[in-house]
Amino acid sequence: MTLTLRRGVVCLALALAGCSLLFMTLARAERSQHGTLIVSLGGKLSPLSLPRDRAVPVAIRLEGSLRSADGSPLPRVNRVEVGLPKQGVLSTRGLPTCTRRKLIVTSDADALAACGQALVGRGRVDLTVRVPHQAPFAVHTRLLAFNARMGRRRAVLLHAYAVRPPLTVVIPFVISHGSGRFSTTLAANLPVLGRWARVAEFKMVLWRRYSYGGRSRSYLSASCPIPKRFTAGFFSFARIAYKLADGRSVDTAIARGCRAR
Amino acid sequence: MEKAASGVSWRRSAVALAVASLAIATGSAQAAEAPTRSEYVERLESVCKPDAEATQRAMKGARSDIKAERLKVAARKFAKATRIFGSTVKKISPVTRPTADKKRLGKWFTDLRRQESYLRQITSQLRAENAVKAQRLIARFIHSGNLANNAVLPFGFNYCSFKFSRYG
Repeated sequence: MTLTLRRGVVCLALALAGCSLLFMTLARAERSQHGTLIVSLGGKLSPLSLPRDRAVPVAIRLEGSLRSADGSPLPRVNRVEVGLPKQGVLSTRGLPTCTRRKLIVTSDADALAACGQALVGRGRVDLTVRVPHQAPFAVHTRLLAFNARMGRRRAVLLHAYAVRPPLTVVIPFVISHGSGRFSTTLAANLPVLGRWARVAEFKMVLWRRYSYGGRSRSYLSASCPIPKRFTAGFFSFARIAYKLADGRSVDTAIARGCRAR
Repeated sequence: MEKAASGVSWRRSAVALAVASLAIATGSAQAAEAPTRSEYVERLESVCKPDAEATQRAMKGARSDIKAERLKVAARKFAKATRIFGSTVKKISPVTRPTADKKRLGKWFTDLRRQESYLRQITSQLRAENAVKAQRLIARFIHSGNLANNAVLPFGFNYCSFKFSRYG
């Protein structure tokens, strides 16, 4: 009896270890190389277990980097596009918006005070700054993401704030919906970063719960629409494309899994 | 007796010299023939491109088939993709490898063969309608594809790299 129980526990532990290993290995960042430029993108959806038939609140974590294989300076990025899967739902109904004007030349505490109601995510961006005749230096910025509108379109305003050197940059990402695997696209032009700053690394979590019309809502929701016979499914999770100043376009996409509950 | 012994030793030395010069000649010929990394990439991409496109065509709708529980239909698509994958690996493995990248490419080909094996197993599990087993193998297939990509990251392959989006 004890032996059977022990065996059961061991089997369960092994199964759980197997499952977590499976999802951990799939959660690592994937890399692709274009010339000497290495583009990496990682990310995950949480929670991993989702209903098959209805969308529930989720958080999306994305992290990426640009690195040169030979230590040469990173190229300037003119435009960045982040594609998210069509299985996800992005809802801004009843969610307060923020404007660019409220965020310009503000610290992150001031930005939160002005637009905290519109907050939809947090993260960080590391920049490498190369000013001529000076040694390159890194700038670590804290990132806040706010719900916004650009004209008639939905948008996300990214507020990047660094203490040393003091720096605030507001980057508007316009949200558009199209067809294909990554039907929700967030796109931004990056000349706002100036001539010398290069994006080296970013980490970002998008997540927001709010109430509207007496109902609890979520900025992001998703389901795991797989047949009953399956317990997990795989889907194209995110894609990032950079348009570089030298005219090249580089991109990478990642696949992730979800478990049905 | 002494004369005979010296004859044998002379013959031995001649054979050794011939073998050594043959080895040097073969080695230098191989070194001369070994392509540069960019030549190798170009050669392989020309082989992989039509096969990657054929895989994409063969796998079209496989995800919808799985979603709609048409596992046998999906199995046929996976079988076709497995054949294409196997033939690509067969075509690219004899291509002379850059001398400095032999170890790295050896690891890549190991990963590719592992992927081929997973594809074959996925096909048979889908054919047998073993959904959960197929799903586990798909996870392993994706993981080994990512490992294969990492092994040859500096090569900057496009068509010869693993892309999840090609599989339905």
